[in-house]
Amino acid sequence: MKQIDTLSGQALREMFAAATGWLEKSYNDIDALNVFPVPDGDTGTNMLLTMRSTLEESYRAPDHSASAVAGAMARGALMGARGNSGVILSQIWRGLAQGLVDKDTITAVDLAGAFQQSASTAYKGISNPVEGTILTVIRETAEAVQQHVTGGTTNLLSVMEQAVSAAGESVANTPHLLHVLKESGVVDAGGQGLYTILEGALRYLNGEVDQAPFRKPHIIVSDLAPGTRLPQALVADEDAYGYCTEFLLKGETLDPDRIRKQLEKEGESLIVVGDNSAIRIHIHTVDPGKVIRYATKMGTVHQASMRNMDEQHQDWLDMQKEKAPVADIAIIAVASGDGIADVFNSLGAACVVPGGQTMNPSTKDLLQAVESVPAEKLIILPNNKNIVLTANQLPSVTERTVEVVPTETIPQGVAALLAFDYEADLPTNTQIMKKAVSAIRSIEITRAVRTTKIGSLKIKRKQPIGLLDGDLVAVADDIMDAINQTLARLDLGKYEVVTIYYGADTGVEEAEQVSAGIREQYPHLQVEIVQGGQPHYNCIISVE
Amino acid sequence: MTVKIITDSLSDIDGELVDELGINVVPVYVRFGEDVFRDRIEITTDEFYHRLVHGNVWPTTTQPTPADFTEVYNKLAQEADELLVITLSNKLSGTYQSALQAKSAVADKCRIEVIDSQQVVMGLGLIVVSAVKALKAGASFDELVQLVHSAMKRTHSVMTFDTLKYLAKGGRIGKAQGLLGSVLSIKPILTLKDGEVHPVTRVRSRTAGVDYLVNFVAGTPAIEELAVEYATTPDEADDLIKRLRAVYPKERIYKSTVSPVIGTYVGPDVLSVSVLEAETK
Repeated sequence: MKQIDTLSGQALREMFAAATGWLEKSYNDIDALNVFPVPDGDTGTNMLLTMRSTLEESYRAPDHSASAVAGAMARGALMGARGNSGVILSQIWRGLAQGLVDKDTITAVDLAGAFQQSASTAYKGISNPVEGTILTVIRETAEAVQQHVTGGTTNLLSVMEQAVSAAGESVANTPHLLHVLKESGVVDAGGQGLYTILEGALRYLNGEVDQAPFRKPHIIVSDLAPGTRLPQALVADEDAYGYCTEFLLKGETLDPDRIRKQLEKEGESLIVVGDNSAIRIHIHTVDPGKVIRYATKMGTVHQASMRNMDEQHQDWLDMQKEKAPVADIAIIAVASGDGIADVFNSLGAACVVPGGQTMNPSTKDLLQAVESVPAEKLIILPNNKNIVLTANQLPSVTERTVEVVPTETIPQGVAALLAFDYEADLPTNTQIMKKAVSAIRSIEITRAVRTTKIGSLKIKRKQPIGLLDGDLVAVADDIMDAINQTLARLDLGKYEVVTIYYGADTGVEEAEQVSAGIREQYPHLQVEIVQGGQPHYNCIISVE
Repeated sequence: MTVKIITDSLSDIDGELVDELGINVVPVYVRFGEDVFRDRIEITTDEFYHRLVHGNVWPTTTQPTPADFTEVYNKLAQEADELLVITLSNKLSGTYQSALQAKSAVADKCRIEVIDSQQVVMGLGLIVVSAVKALKAGASFDELVQLVHSAMKRTHSVMTFDTLKYLAKGGRIGKAQGLLGSVLSIKPILTLKDGEVHPVTRVRSRTAGVDYLVNFVAGTPAIEELAVEYATTPDEADDLIKRLRAVYPKERIYKSTVSPVIGTYVGPDVLSVSVLEAETK
């Protein structure tokens, strides 16, 4: 690796010019990551515009020292900050400038210190810092860089590499911290923007800027399933979001802290950053007039912008609808239990209709689900014997093309969904899925609802019973016994994977006990335990 | 007129097969922290996977520089009149761009044609194999270029994975993103389509994954070339070849390892089949 000991102010500017160029290549992709109602309809664009203003001002630095260039950058960023993430970005550059005060050139240690300052300044401007955003990304990046430098690194190239790698990890983790991201299956757009800027800076240090002009930054993906809850998310929210209001306030003795305090009760997502001569304000409020009136008492208002967020929300919904139909075949599953619904969602079901034993959805319920999904071709997995008939009504009541794979149990439904072939058409997929259903064995453990006699089996009310592929095969005194009796009906030596979905009334301990029992007897089997949360059935087990 | 064929190391054409085919392979770079290696030249496949699984530094990869290609072009230009360069998919790497940029440095000496195969691993490898065979059979340069484009349409690679972790982390997951985040443990099966990674389906067990590969090959109407690849499980690859041999007793089945650079994205335990379908007449 090349050794870079110091960076001049000139180099700092060039580095950020390269970073801005790199951001420009993917700002559209970053815009597409937006999740409403996380503020900003256009994060990538806003960050790019902020970076341009940052750079422009950097050429007006009084001299070529690092501190002068960084100071000019911070001013430019504040003056030109757009949107929520642009404003936070301006705080990051402000912190950077504060960390580089009096530095003629920058060393690895200086850069690490400046990143730390960036992180703390970024948090300060915001009244309610939210984790899982650009804030988390700058903080975790600064921490990783500091650790790297403490370890003795003096090479700026290596420091920047560490920064990019830490930022990448941090961005990938954002959906775990912020629920709306998880629901939409995307990473935080602002964090991605910062990552791209750092990556661009690294490319400059590596001397890769002019190489391969067709290369493009990639958007980080999280380890989450994207867009699986889309139908629910698309239901329009009735709440008003108000106006996203932004402006620059210029004056002589401005007090950012006081202004922040004053405006806190006027709305959401408040950011107030700057110094006593210029302050950038961003707020979501239902009464922008009041905010502006208050501001004009302190100084002069510049670059004021107001956007109706309900309109933005509508645009966002439309964009989601456009983005949605990736696969042209959507799958609708009927299931009960939050864990089981998660299984279907995570495997790509477009919609999970609540229902199952004793809770059969109506044709209308299924029709509603079919029509909520942005796809012309659909496959329904009823996952219960009593729902198959209802599902079979669907092709005649909707104009969309609907096929039913008559799954009678949850394991059959999961097997069918898993076998879905992304390359195949609807008839082929229906066939493939039906075939997958026939290859799986389903065990359901429940309690008898009444005293009865089936064949040679006498059953008392509430007694645990075991069903194999829908047929009653075991009656027992306790759940474990019912499971063991039912499992004994199968030659487990012939199978590979056993999945145990334990129900709402069953503990994970019982499931683990079953799993341990199976493993002991059949060590070759892969046994997996899933919290199904289903009612009625203590345990549902698939054997394949 | 002498024609030489060049590809990159992600074709997974390695060792003796390089000599047998008489082609030139330009290595892609793999990097662990500050250690940079030329794919398969400075790091063996075994060393690589050991570091990938046991090391704490995440590897990254870098395309060959235009200068790497220029050097090969200049060397070959002394004996050849025309050079055919077939690279891995431009959507996965900048190798194609480097190969293209390098052209200008030697443009006046001989004709150079650079083709983005939209494939990788032995999918790319088999296209190269078929070009070499055509060249030996006396095809002209223009016919070769045409043949490569035709072969690209007839090539399919299908891989079974143990985890998508590496692919997601490396930013090369493409359209298979939808397979991430499953609550159940699944083994994804992926293919390369239009130069990008696409999902095919998912299975629950390794055996079912291997079965899928066998069925995929068996379901291909007529095969011109066939290859099996593995990363860390040679025995499994041998078993797979045995099963494919039962379906195609006469065809040569190329066996190769997935190169370290690809390993960065697919992780250990990957198993892959590539087929070049025969042209329908």
